[in-house]
Amino acid sequence: MSTHVLGGPPRSPHNVGPAPVEHEPGFIRRYVFSTDHKIIGIQYILTGLVMAIAGAALATLIRLQLGWPEHHWLWLSRLLPVGMPSGVMTPEFYLAVVTMHGTIMVFFFVSFVLVSGFGNYLVPLQVGARDMAFPFLNMLSYWIALLSAVTMLASFLVEGGAAAAGWTAYPPLSAVAAAVPGSQMGQTVWLLSMALFIASFTMSGLNIVATVFSVRAPGLSMMRLPLTVWSYFIASILGLLAFPPLTAAAVMLLLDRHFGTSFFLPSGLIIANKVLPNTGGSPLLWQHLFWFLGHPEVYVLILPALGIACDILPAFTRKPVFGYRISVWCLVAVGCLSMIVWGHHMFVSGMSPFSGEYFSLVTLTITVPMTIFGVNMLASLWGAKLQLTTAMLFSLGVIALFGSGGLGGLFLGNATADMQLHDTYFVVGHFHMMIGGVTLLATFGAIYFWFPKMFGRMMNETLGKLHFWFTFAPFFLIFFMQHFLGLQGAPRRYYAFTAFDYLQKTRGQNLVISIAAMVLISGQFLFLVNFVWSLFRGHRAAANPWHATTLEWTVASPPPHGNFDAVPVVQRWAYEYGVQTIDGDFAVQTVPSVSA
Amino acid sequence: MNALADDITLREDQMRLGLWMFLATVTMLFAAFTSAYIVRRSGSDWRHVALPPILWLNTLVLGASSVTLEIASRAGLERRWRAAGGGFAAALVLGFGFLAGQIGAWRQMVAEGVYLPSSPHSSFFYMMTGAHALHVVAALAVLLWSAAATWSAGRDVRAWDAQVGLCRTFWHYLGGVWVFLFALVSLY
Amino acid sequence: MKTLEGWLVSLLFAGTAIAGVVYGSGIRMPELASRHGAGIDAMLAYLLVTVGGLFLAGYLALAYFIWRGVRRAEIGPRFATRKTEILLSGALGLGMAVIAEGGVLAIGMPVWQEYFAAATPADAITIDVTAQQFMWNVRYPGPDGRFGRTDPRLVDDSSNPLGLVPDDPAGKDDVVTLNEIAVVVNRPVRIQLRSKDVIHSFFLPNFRVKQDAVPGMTPEVVFVPTRTGEFEIACAELCGLAHYRMRGFFHVLTAEQFENWLRLQSAAAGGR
Repeated sequence: MSTHVLGGPPRSPHNVGPAPVEHEPGFIRRYVFSTDHKIIGIQYILTGLVMAIAGAALATLIRLQLGWPEHHWLWLSRLLPVGMPSGVMTPEFYLAVVTMHGTIMVFFFVSFVLVSGFGNYLVPLQVGARDMAFPFLNMLSYWIALLSAVTMLASFLVEGGAAAAGWTAYPPLSAVAAAVPGSQMGQTVWLLSMALFIASFTMSGLNIVATVFSVRAPGLSMMRLPLTVWSYFIASILGLLAFPPLTAAAVMLLLDRHFGTSFFLPSGLIIANKVLPNTGGSPLLWQHLFWFLGHPEVYVLILPALGIACDILPAFTRKPVFGYRISVWCLVAVGCLSMIVWGHHMFVSGMSPFSGEYFSLVTLTITVPMTIFGVNMLASLWGAKLQLTTAMLFSLGVIALFGSGGLGGLFLGNATADMQLHDTYFVVGHFHMMIGGVTLLATFGAIYFWFPKMFGRMMNETLGKLHFWFTFAPFFLIFFMQHFLGLQGAPRRYYAFTAFDYLQKTRGQNLVISIAAMVLISGQFLFLVNFVWSLFRGHRAAANPWHATTLEWTVASPPPHGNFDAVPVVQRWAYEYGVQTIDGDFAVQTVPSVSA
Repeated sequence: MNALADDITLREDQMRLGLWMFLATVTMLFAAFTSAYIVRRSGSDWRHVALPPILWLNTLVLGASSVTLEIASRAGLERRWRAAGGGFAAALVLGFGFLAGQIGAWRQMVAEGVYLPSSPHSSFFYMMTGAHALHVVAALAVLLWSAAATWSAGRDVRAWDAQVGLCRTFWHYLGGVWVFLFALVSLY
Repeated sequence: MKTLEGWLVSLLFAGTAIAGVVYGSGIRMPELASRHGAGIDAMLAYLLVTVGGLFLAGYLALAYFIWRGVRRAEIGPRFATRKTEILLSGALGLGMAVIAEGGVLAIGMPVWQEYFAAATPADAITIDVTAQQFMWNVRYPGPDGRFGRTDPRLVDDSSNPLGLVPDDPAGKDDVVTLNEIAVVVNRPVRIQLRSKDVIHSFFLPNFRVKQDAVPGMTPEVVFVPTRTGEFEIACAELCGLAHYRMRGFFHVLTAEQFENWLRLQSAAAGGR
């Protein structure tokens, strides 16, 4: 294999000081059980991409069912004899597919690839460090993450099938085995997998925060950091503070499920003709604890996407990002606000209407920093000399989807409007545009942009651009239309829309969406082929093929173990484009500043 | 410039930062349990179960272990290694004693017929003290690690200073959490 | 080639936005049939117009910047000053806050408060709806205006789905139906929601009514139907395998039709 991801002999594991040469470790220590943040980052990315394939397969099944509700897919009945006997999906399988699609995509694709994968890869490089603050903990976090992913996939194989109460797992549906088949062992395995995931994510988050705080190169003040680093920094703090309530809730749900407690189960429940012995629990308690995590979680996912787009844009506009300092403050503001708005997921839950007013008014304040950030991205294009590389196309797509998806938030954060839109396809359209679209496009942009750095080879631009066209257009169509399905009253998590007269007219729209989905998913093969082919046959990449300014571009592609020969001394902020230096129209952060 | 010393100082700072952030996470966990407790407390079926008196003894034992740990670390900072070693041994014994006492408390409750699902109060009690005990197990491992460094002759003094700082912080923090939890389940 | 690409990408974003607005303008919500629903529709209309406008403007701006940027051989001469950054960000942030919060404060909150805070009118028909997997058990209080007591231990899905206590005199005249609700046009309706098993959600798309039915709680909805006709009830919270076909029927009748209906229902139930 002529590709390689680590160049040169290994260097000192300490993050500062001289670099004594050690003997070369074997393949296993270099590429499997490695504490090198670059290897760990790539491991997360590759694992996440595999999980994405699983998530996309589940999405295909969902759209097959909703686009062609009575069709018999005989070839699928051979692959999935239990879930699709004689080629028609059973409702129990559909609910498991929906639940697992959401869970896998949120936690095991976006979080793995974008947050842990690129976070691990980029943060030490961009702060000028040799590695993360705690390399061993970092390695541990990956292997626990892998275990959590395998556990989650294994839940399909237990009795009753995978969890089927939605990724939100509301009790009593998720707490009582007889309520839905997935609530037999499937839900328990789901909870155990999530516990492992949270442990892994906590370790990862600790690492990123500690690294940004304490291992920055000399001269690299916080206000000289790339927006990518800022976004990972804030997202990690958010994750550290927001995940524990889900841990607490998961423990309580496990106890309710297996040990007879009544944290979430009230008295008088009658399921499968039996009166359950529980008393006094509150289903709403789960919702509060879940969404206390759930809302910050979506910002944990989207902030890195936005930060990455802000790194890619200036490389292809050849101008600095617009409003850098303001954008930093917007990220901080959104992080803080995101922790006090969780109730907007619960406007019709039975929560007090007064709480509803509070949550509505505060949620809508998030529009301010997010609008400013979005406009800053757009304004970064003003006066630009554009190069439409693949990475740039995806970043432009990020701006577009952030705008349209974000505007949907004005509806859902508004308690009055939400009364009609809650639990309809409007919500599905909104969150897919944001954590499916913005993050997906940013992930692709990041891969096309940093692939040369990671693997020392360029990806194919023609295939890449085709990939963009096959992705943006169908993606937008699907999820834009879903907003309007919601306005027409189509509820979420429906196995079919055939049982209601008022939903008959959505049949044609669902068909169009399903066809677009098939186009979208097929288009991803262009990416997979490009990715794998380029690993072996891509043109060799120079250290700085995009003429970009941040620190990772000052070292070889791929960087050696230990990253930097000597600790870089930073002289400039992260977006010094449009200046004349010997290198051209930009200055890397280590180039001495003309003004003293 | 002493690069090695700088290296260790940075290491210390990083470990301390890492620990404080970890403690922030742990605090959020217990805050979540506490807020759930408070919400549930207002339910009509709340029945306060009698808590075994051994819990008072356990509290004293845990407090004593913090005190001996403090004495041990002061001694170590002054390089009085025998005293430090003794203090760590005492802290360990008392720490394990606390865990044993907690297990004893749970067994006493089970003997009285108060199980996990018996009442919301007992559910929270077992769950929160169980979570606390798990963290104490982790902290005992850290304590053991510091104790081993104290007892060994070839100890690295600067590293020891950093290590014992982390150990004390984690241990006293869990002591504080225990006092809070005990007060919550007894008084509210 | 480069300018061709620029045109294509530009047109992609511009075309997407225009197509989106055209498609969206053709979509209609389920026919409105309640009084407070007009307020919700006003809120939605306000948002659709403002958001639609911002969406179109944003995408067209993006398309323009792309079209223009591809044509440039050099970056523009002026860099944004700090002052420009602050002014633009501030102005747009403030503008968005006004649009979003202004909408909520001016239109949304009054509707919300009126809906929740208003005292239940004296002439409201009170109906008790108990959701279960996968049907709506409906109960009218009967002439005595009181609901009989229920006990979960008495529940039998075929003969006594609500677990009515047989000796309770208040329950003797309760009228129980399955999946059928009738009300009188222009007369307030008050629905008390309960659930026997998991969380369901009582959704009347035409009436802009949605409320989760949570076991252990008894949330209420109060609204006034304003047109006669036959409407559907859907479940709007995942409740298990047949969530997608948990369908009920909501009849809005004249007063006379309603009395007939009620009489028929209680006759069908037979004496107890």
